[in-house]
Order: sequence, then C-alpha cells, then structure tokens
Amino acid sequence: MNAKTFVITSGKGGVGKTTTTANVGCALAMLGHQVALVDADVGLRNLDLVLGLEKRIVYDLVDLIEDRCQPRQALIRDKRVDGLFLLPASQTKDKESVTEEQMRDVMRKLAAEFDVVLIDCPAGIEHGFRNAVAGADEAIVVTTPEVSAIRDADRILGMLGGRRARLIINRVRLEMVKTGDMLSVDDVKDILGREVIGVVPDDEEIIDTTNRGEPVVLDAGRRLARVYTAIARRVLGEDAPLPSLEDDGIWNRLRRLIGSKA
Amino acid sequence: MKEIEAREQPSSAGAEQASDGAAPVSKAALGRAIVVTSGKGGVGKTTTTANLGTALADAGKRVAVVDADVGLRNLDVVLGLENRVHRHLLDVIEKQCVLDEALVRDRVRRTLFLLPAAQNREKDDVPEAAMAALVRTLQERFDFVLIDCPAGIEQGFRNAVIGAQEAIVVTTPEVSAVRDADRVIGLLPPEMSVSLIVNRVRPALVKKGTMMSVEDVNNILRLALIGVVPDEKEIIIATNRGTPVIDIDGSETGAAFRRIARRILGESVEIPTFAVNAGLMARIMSTLGIARS
Amino acid sequence: MLDFITKFFKREEASKTLAKERLRLVLMSDRVSLAPDVFDEMKGEMLSVIRRYLEIDERALDMHFENLERQFALLASIPVLKVKTAEEVAAASHHGTSRNGTSRNGAGHNGAPHNGAVADGIIENGIARTQPPRRRRRRKRAASPPLEEGAPPSQNDGTSPHDGTQGPSIEGP
Repeated sequence: MNAKTFVITSGKGGVGKTTTTANVGCALAMLGHQVALVDADVGLRNLDLVLGLEKRIVYDLVDLIEDRCQPRQALIRDKRVDGLFLLPASQTKDKESVTEEQMRDVMRKLAAEFDVVLIDCPAGIEHGFRNAVAGADEAIVVTTPEVSAIRDADRILGMLGGRRARLIINRVRLEMVKTGDMLSVDDVKDILGREVIGVVPDDEEIIDTTNRGEPVVLDAGRRLARVYTAIARRVLGEDAPLPSLEDDGIWNRLRRLIGSKA
Repeated sequence: MKEIEAREQPSSAGAEQASDGAAPVSKAALGRAIVVTSGKGGVGKTTTTANLGTALADAGKRVAVVDADVGLRNLDVVLGLENRVHRHLLDVIEKQCVLDEALVRDRVRRTLFLLPAAQNREKDDVPEAAMAALVRTLQERFDFVLIDCPAGIEQGFRNAVIGAQEAIVVTTPEVSAVRDADRVIGLLPPEMSVSLIVNRVRPALVKKGTMMSVEDVNNILRLALIGVVPDEKEIIIATNRGTPVIDIDGSETGAAFRRIARRILGESVEIPTFAVNAGLMARIMSTLGIARS
Repeated sequence: MLDFITKFFKREEASKTLAKERLRLVLMSDRVSLAPDVFDEMKGEMLSVIRRYLEIDERALDMHFENLERQFALLASIPVLKVKTAEEVAAASHHGTSRNGTSRNGAGHNGAPHNGAVADGIIENGIARTQPPRRRRRRKRAASPPLEEGAPPSQNDGTSPHDGTQGPSIEGP
C-alpha cells in the first residue's frame, strides 16, 4: 500500500489540529482510502475524544513502541467509516518517553498497511513536535488568522526540515474579515508564503460535534463536511476547488436567526 | 526614545522611587507568584496573563509578567511590546545581562513589566532551579509575578510551575480542554493554591445545550472558581492592535478580566450570568456585517 | 448604528492592517534570531566585498539587526582606516587573493593584529565562498561597549553570544 504520511502541525495550540486530523481523516476514508490516524500528543491525548473512540482504547502508541502489543491490537477500527483507524496516544506517559527513531519505525509499519497516515502533532516545538514530524513525509500546517497563531506557524514552517508544507486556515470569520477586523486568506498567504489547501470557517457546529464525538464530516449535509472533503482531496493532490466562505445567503441567515431559539 | 526606556528600570535594591508611580515594596513582603496554566493550548493563558497583569497594574500594583513559552513566545505580541524586546529570560539566567536590562516596561502602565521568553532557544535550556530563583528575585521586587505557562506538561510546564505558589487553571467549556485541565491539576504540587477561570464562554450556546455550562465544567474540575470570561470578537481585535482587551470600551471580556483582578486582590465580586440575548436588532446588524456599536 | 457611520467617516485604521504590519516586523525579527549562522554568512560576504575597497577597523566594527518601532533595519558601523586606491582595488580583484581579510604574510591588510577572528573570503575554483566568523569573535562583541545611542545591543545581533549556540564551536562548513 505504501502510504504518504502527513503531520498536522501548527506550533500554536488550540488552532484546530486535532479537529482537522479527525475530519480530514474521516473524509479521506469516506472517499475510499485506507486511513490511519495517529495521536502523537502523548500525555494529553484528544484525538480519541474528538472521534468518539475514547471508550474503546485498550492499547496505545507507547504500548506498540514497547512491544506490548501488535499494531492491529492498538489500532481502533472506526465502526462508522470503512477504512478508518486510530492509533491512540498514551495518557499516562509524556512525550519524553518516545524517541524520533521509534516514531519513524511505527510510521513505517503503518505506511505499509495504509493509503494515508495522518499524524496529529501536539502544540509546541519540543520532543512531541519532533517526534510527530520525524515519521512524516509532508506537513500540513494549521493556523488561524490571528497574530500569535501566524507567528507560531511561521516558526514551525522553518522547522520542518525541507518537507513540503501546505496551509489550512481555520476559524475564518467572514464578517470580521469584511470589517477589517480579521486578516484575510490573502493576508495569511502573503505573510506565510505557502500554498493554502483549505479555508475553514468558524462554525459552532464544531463544538457540538466534538462534544458528541461525531466528526462533522460524517453528516454530508453540513457545510463543514463539504469544506473538509475538499481539503481531503487537495491533500492527495487533487485540484478540488475550495468552497466559498459565503454562507447560503443573508436571508437564510436571517430566517434562521429569527426562527432560532432566542 | 528607546534608550530612555532602557534606563527607566526598577532599581534593584530597597525601596523604589516615588516617581516610579508605585508604592515601595518593603523587603519583608514577598510578592505573589501565580502561574497561569491549562494543559491545552489556545484556551487563553497568554491573554489572561496579559490582561490580569494589566488590570492589577491599574490597581496600583507592581506587576511582572513572565513569558515562559521559550521558543514560541507571544506574551510580548499580546501586550504590543514586541518591538521593545531585546533581552530575555535566558539571557538573565545565563548571566548575559542583568534582570533590569531584560524587563520591558509597558507603554501605558508604568508599574507593569514584561520578562520576555527567548525565541530562538528551547524549553529544555532552562534549568528548573534557575527558574525558581528568578521568580523568587522577581517576587522581591514586585507585588505580583504572573507566569504565562506554555501548553503541555513537559519541561516547559515544569519550569513555569516551579517558582509559583499559586496557580490559575484556564479552560474553555469544551471536552478536550477540560480533560487536559484535569490532567494538569493532577500534576500541580499539592500545596499550591489553585483556582479556575472558564474562558470563551458563549452563553447562547450554553442555553442551546451545545456548550457545557460553567457548572458542568467545575463539577468535573472541582476548583475555586475565580472567573468566567465570555467569548468575544474584541479579543481578536485587541491582539491585532497589541492592546489588552480591558482597554476596549464596552468589552464584556475586558470587564470580566477586571473583575478577576479584583477577586485576586481579595475583593468579593459576584460572577455575573451573562445576557444571552444581545437584542434582536444588534444581532441583525451583525448578521448584515455591520459593526456592533 | 451611529458607531458604524462615524467609523466610516473617520476611516480608522482597520485592526487587521495593524496586525499585518506588526506581523511583518515581528517575523523578520524572529527569522533573523532563528538563523544566526545564515546571517553571519551574509555579513561575512558583505564585509569581504567592503574590504576590497576599504581597509576597515575589524575590531571596532559593528553590524546588527535592530527592531525599531516601525522598521526593521540592518545597522552597520564600519570604521574606515583607509580608502584603497584604484590600483589596489584592481590588484586585489585580479589576483583573486585567497584570503581577503587577512594576508598569509604576517599582519593583516589593515595593520591590525591578526586575531583570526574575521570572516574570511576564500576563493575556491573561482567561486568566492565565505566562512562565518569564528566563535571567539562573539565573546569579544559581548565585552564591547554598548552602541552610541546607549541602547543595549540587540539580541538580534548575529554576533552576540546568546544566539542559541553556546559553548565550543562545532560549526562545519
């Protein structure tokens, strides 16, 4: 199978790496690929939670590295989506208990069995980051259109050792971009100078779906599902168009607003 | 102008000049050292540190805010002081300069100082003992030392915690954040007094049942609640400008931080329940892309 | 509503414009401090060009990046000891001297004692290659007096000792 491995990273915490990994991973599997998602946030795992698989963890990454189990025992098969698997992080160890070489080893094993491997990188630039990147061919850098996030993303872009890196701009608030209160996609592109493969609007649906452990992509009707699916295609190199950020129209928004529980 | 800034640093020995704008700190009374931590990144530690520091300075206190996020510093940028950073924490620890050279005085609040992190070093470069000693030195000169902790639970976290006697755990009402906060609480020294700030609360979503309530969060974490901060676009605007959100007129977030500062100072201030409906007209205007007044 | 109207007429600077400008500056500052070796090389190359035309006081030389309020600048103070004549300039370029900053035959061009702590321009196979200054020089910089304006040396200065690399020099080519 020999997979391409991607690390989903950012530098800044809280910009949406885990959400992105979960949703893009699901979308790729729904497009028919065999996908392994790896939670590299040893000690502060969250990919399991976002995927709603937290109750099914028996073995984790550290167990696999320390040979306490076989890969198929540690990988959790998602029952909702064919071809989607999660390798959870350990919650009780910390990042300093895994080496880069060990990560590369595990990723190699996974790459042999899957079409795509996505590695959810922890925040920061220390061991956890280095471990996550070590096993990856390419990087996808997630940022938001905010000063701190962009600054950290710039730093990260300089630490990827020549790997190809493309951007996802998350939590874009179109109204704020229009009033000049938020940097635009073009601004971010100018500053960071990389190809943008996704623009994800800020949407309260993410909070809801994270609470439920149901990646938003599973509901094809949701706007964000279309966004993440397009990103999944772009990850694989397809020239899928980025869906417009514009909502379904002012009147629909107003209608929903007035009709909503106020 | 810059060189004047560099010279107007707090004197290292004994009482401060009256012209410094703050009451002298007697050697006997050590300042309070509080670490602002969370586990999860992006929940608002840096914003909280910056705004609480500013609010405490407004209350007349001498405040040092310390950026412990070596390698990914942002406290300087949130305070709008990034152009004035020349030396940093590691320079002081490695004796490349004295503390006064590294401390950056705020443009507006004359009793607020920033000790920046190094941008081109790593958290492992900072020895814990040195960090503890540095915080102690700051406590001798400031009423409050607020330490902005990096995300995670590794060396960066340990360094940020080591010098502090108090902790403020910041979380958002969101499963991953609460889970990480819980982990972090377990790693704090048992003798440390720990309080909780719940940040980025969206009352409308709480009412809808989409977002956990503050009670839900604190039923899990079980800490002394010291503040609830609503989510607002003003935070983004504030960071764009490099001014603290407490300076933005009409900002609910800013007002919340001011209340938290008062609670830190011992005042008993009620935690308000936030208005869920900002008014239909205002919401229509924001839908149409017109800025709220 | 009134706020919207006044904002429209006041044409207050959009916060995102400020953000973009601030980011531009802070990223320059970050990038420079994160790649000191690259900028040492750049300075070395610049100096080797300057040396072709001028004899400079290597010890009193200062070249560093500075983050001013709205501008990021490379500031250089290069004391000139002698302006070379046209013949001297031509002779140096023509010979393709193997070492521009110091000569193999004893004292350096500029008469200052050869301390080995300068950026050398080396021409190999007809291609000029510069080496970054050796570690020793950095410690000297730290001991030197502050800049004229009284401001402390910027940490963005590639020659300052606390640039992320401490201890014995282990630089390769």
